[in-house]
Amino acid sequence: MQVIDDSLFDRAFNLFNRIEQQDFEYVYRGFFSHNISKKILSLADVNIQRSLGVSAIQKRIYYIMVEGLQNITMHQEDADEYLEKYPGIFAIQKHDLFYYVTTGNLVLNDRIPDLKSRIEQINSLDKDELKQLHKEVLRTGAISDKGGAGLGLIEMARKSGNKLVASFELVNDKYSYFYLQTRIPIQKGIEETSGDDYSKLRAALISIKKLHLTLNVENILLYFNGFFSQENLLNLLAIIKGRMNLSLTTIRLSNVMVEMIQNIIKHGYKIKEDKGVPGIFFLRQLDSGDFALLSGNYVTEEQKHIIEEKLNFINSKSIEEISELYDEILLDMENVDSLRSGLGLYDLRIKSSSELQFKFLKVSENLYFYILQTLIKNVN
Amino acid sequence: MEPIILQPSEDTPEVVLNPVENIFRIARISVPEDAFEFYQPIIKWLKEYSKNPLPETIFEFDLEYVNTASNKQLMQLMLVLDEIAQNSPVTVKWFYESIDEDMLSLGKRYEKLAKNINFEFIEI
Repeated sequence: MQVIDDSLFDRAFNLFNRIEQQDFEYVYRGFFSHNISKKILSLADVNIQRSLGVSAIQKRIYYIMVEGLQNITMHQEDADEYLEKYPGIFAIQKHDLFYYVTTGNLVLNDRIPDLKSRIEQINSLDKDELKQLHKEVLRTGAISDKGGAGLGLIEMARKSGNKLVASFELVNDKYSYFYLQTRIPIQKGIEETSGDDYSKLRAALISIKKLHLTLNVENILLYFNGFFSQENLLNLLAIIKGRMNLSLTTIRLSNVMVEMIQNIIKHGYKIKEDKGVPGIFFLRQLDSGDFALLSGNYVTEEQKHIIEEKLNFINSKSIEEISELYDEILLDMENVDSLRSGLGLYDLRIKSSSELQFKFLKVSENLYFYILQTLIKNVN
Repeated sequence: MEPIILQPSEDTPEVVLNPVENIFRIARISVPEDAFEFYQPIIKWLKEYSKNPLPETIFEFDLEYVNTASNKQLMQLMLVLDEIAQNSPVTVKWFYESIDEDMLSLGKRYEKLAKNINFEFIEI
């Protein structure tokens, strides 16, 4: 019998609640290969295009993300031995009138002074001076020994029209986490960073650092918080495939992820009709080596009763009974044209190593936040 | 009959229904949002084909990922094949990755529910 960790469900809801309804947040934590970076980029871009369309600003954000991801991959090479324990992080968030692109990765402690002064220099320059510096670096080839990181920083500052916000967090006597955040306004005309705004920027970075800490503590490998769509699902699927070796466990994780996210897309309650279905999804690896997949989305009171009844029913059956019911539903002609096959939860139960865990948190009169967790044994 | 040939997409499989060359094949990934919409024309085509099938039909399934909504549509497809098999033999070649016991058990499930079809399980 699996002990249900109630506080985890509350923490998941708190994570979901951190961002307001109109916003989205995607965080990747782990090893950044070329392929994974490509998928992260495409996942982020799909969501940005959804709200901004193809535009000059969307292109600028794209460019900044490319630089940020390159930054992470470059520094990864310096920290081979610690990557497993202290993986890098890439986050894209939308909040109010801004997009925030944040990267976090290990750097050698003795590189910190140089990075700090470089960022200070960039932040002290205005638009024209930055342009000048950019030219100069290009012309003299005065690039860093890390092959152009200096140029990257200048470009990020130029494209964002905002100051770079950096922070260092000591990890051990050799390494620190280097966090770098760029803020991009969603429209022209709100580009200048006033002194007051700078403290807001700091607050945004602190919030990501806290999230990173949570992801590290919970060992969350994949995290998506925002509006779900089939496109997002396909990118997340590609990211999972990219980061893990092909095995029965990976195949199961992928399949379970597909069912859980399509469940959100099909049944999740939309707060605003045009926005897609808000929800949260994350994949954790437990100390035992097994995996836990968690999804959270809004449901109405009526849906709550139906889902609750179904989950209690499924949990009361043995795997053999579930398997027989699965056949019955497969052969059921009545609902063959329905979007919902009705098989999803049965499938999760068959693939899961234990009962399905769930909780409904009351949000308002007729609305609940429905959290479902599936455990997958690491059979490799 | 006009063959159906569909290129695979990120979430829908490659589909070949070609009686002229006796190739029937569904391969790769099947995780569409609306599986009914995707499979409806395929099942309709197959029902038409069942009126005048080849003396022997060999149907290959070489799938990597399938969502449960597709499972249900594939069951429909199997039932049409099962009906054909009552009069002329049908063989389903069910390919699966050696590590993927879930894909194997999905095939076994169809074998159990579509008794007239001859199933061959091929490990790759």
